[in-house]
Amino acid sequence: MKKITLHFSIKEITPDREVVFESQGINEGRNVPEKISDLYDYSLSVFQKDIEPKAIRQEITIPEFSEIFQGNGDNDENTPVQHIFSLADSLELFAFTLGQNISDTISGLFSSKDFALAYMLDSIASASTDKAASIAEQYSKESAKTLLYSPGYCGWHINGQKQLFKKLKPERIGISLSDQFLMIPLKSISGVLITGKKEIHTFDNDFTFCAQCKTFSCIARQEHLLY
Amino acid sequence: MDILQQISEQIDLGDDEKVYELTATAIEQKIPVKRILEEGLLDGMNIVGKKFKEHDIFLPEVLMAAKAMNAGMELIKPLLLSGNIPMKAKVVLGTVRGDLHDIGKNLVGVMLKGAGFEVIDLGNDVSPEKFIETAKREGAQFIGMSTLLTTTMPVMKEVIELLRIENLEGKIKTLVGGAAVSKSYAEEIGATAYCYDGSNAVEYLNSVI
Ligand code: B12
Repeated sequence: MKKITLHFSIKEITPDREVVFESQGINEGRNVPEKISDLYDYSLSVFQKDIEPKAIRQEITIPEFSEIFQGNGDNDENTPVQHIFSLADSLELFAFTLGQNISDTISGLFSSKDFALAYMLDSIASASTDKAASIAEQYSKESAKTLLYSPGYCGWHINGQKQLFKKLKPERIGISLSDQFLMIPLKSISGVLITGKKEIHTFDNDFTFCAQCKTFSCIARQEHLLY
Repeated sequence: MDILQQISEQIDLGDDEKVYELTATAIEQKIPVKRILEEGLLDGMNIVGKKFKEHDIFLPEVLMAAKAMNAGMELIKPLLLSGNIPMKAKVVLGTVRGDLHDIGKNLVGVMLKGAGFEVIDLGNDVSPEKFIETAKREGAQFIGMSTLLTTTMPVMKEVIELLRIENLEGKIKTLVGGAAVSKSYAEEIGATAYCYDGSNAVEYLNSVI
């Protein structure tokens, strides 16, 4: 099926300041010292200069995805995704990258001892990647909801990326996959966009792997769905 | 205010240029390098560390202070070496083979250096052999390993097993950290300690050296 290469504007994937600050341990409501505010502004200008955002998506049928999801057979026995995708209206494989430049700049800044700038830039880039995912989720039709599910989350083994890559070929937008299933450039994400009724996306977080999860993003996503 | 106190204060303010100038002056004034290190540079970072722990300042401010401290360190490092003045302890640090995530590892390195440890940073994608060869060659007391991926966690175990084979277990202690790792995993593979962040690693190392 047709592969669509998407282009994001730099403005739309620039993350909210609060989100970036939160990942630096500066929670909402706290007074941000001027020098941190200035550091943020400067980091943002470097970020906007250095990124080359690109994404690719491809529609896929439920049986096709079922095969990809099986992967090497290393997923947890019971995962939320297996219940969700079979109820979907439509599925699309998805990958997004900010490009290699930004990672090189971050490493260079660490080497030249600009630690605060390097880390602020890293936080902006990570938050931006998350924002790109939520933009992809907005392409859905009105009556339904699209959410991105990624290998490496919720019992879907990270090596699931191998099958996903075989089908989607994100190499076309400059993403390659290492032996250890790491995407290069680092600031990249992959997964499946599942579109369907809101209810199909809800689940209780009492799967075996939930005990070790430090992310809790599923809870935030479900809260968004309901309210 | 004496010059060492000024160095400490400028570190707290995160002014790398002033710290560089003041350290150069202190060296010119023939103040013993050990005092410049302890009463100037480390004292400044100590104050910053305390403020951070008490939530008076934020991580970016700690990192600005670390840059300032570094500016002074660059000047006194050759003098420490020529005077055979040891740092607290040596730590070989790296992200394990197969993983390229290094922000967390870098932050840990910054914190350790700021607390007076000597850090030999091997970067990312580091093989078990390289960790051990470097630690032996440099006479390091600790190896710090980072990974964010479950697929590369077993490399940490390989390092610990190699240390065992070479009869270095206990002589070179292992610290592990990163999103994939937990206290129970550290125990399972026989790592000396798991630390959840850089400040925690500093606290741990200070408590065992
Ligand atoms: C931000 C983030 C991203 C960002 C950027 C990643 C980056 N670092 O550049 C983006 C959005 C791009 C991303 C993408 C992906 N991610 Co991600 N990501 C995270 C997240 C939320 C935070 C990582 C981070 O940057 N933290 C900030 C740094 C400063 O923290 P840190 O590295 O942990 O280091 C601190 C401590 O751990 C400790 N520490 C670290 N090392 C050491 C070493 C020693 C010796 C000591 C003492 C302490 C110590 O101290 C540090 C400083 O405080 C983690 C989840 C989490 N809670 O950690 C997932 C996480 C790492 N990602 C995960 C996954 C699966 C992915 C993807 C594969 C998803 C996908 N399919 O798209 C991709 C892969 C990207 C790639 N290139 O291959 C998984 C990995 C799980 C696994 N099975 O291995 C995690 C754990 C989330 C989860 N599922 O729970 N990710």
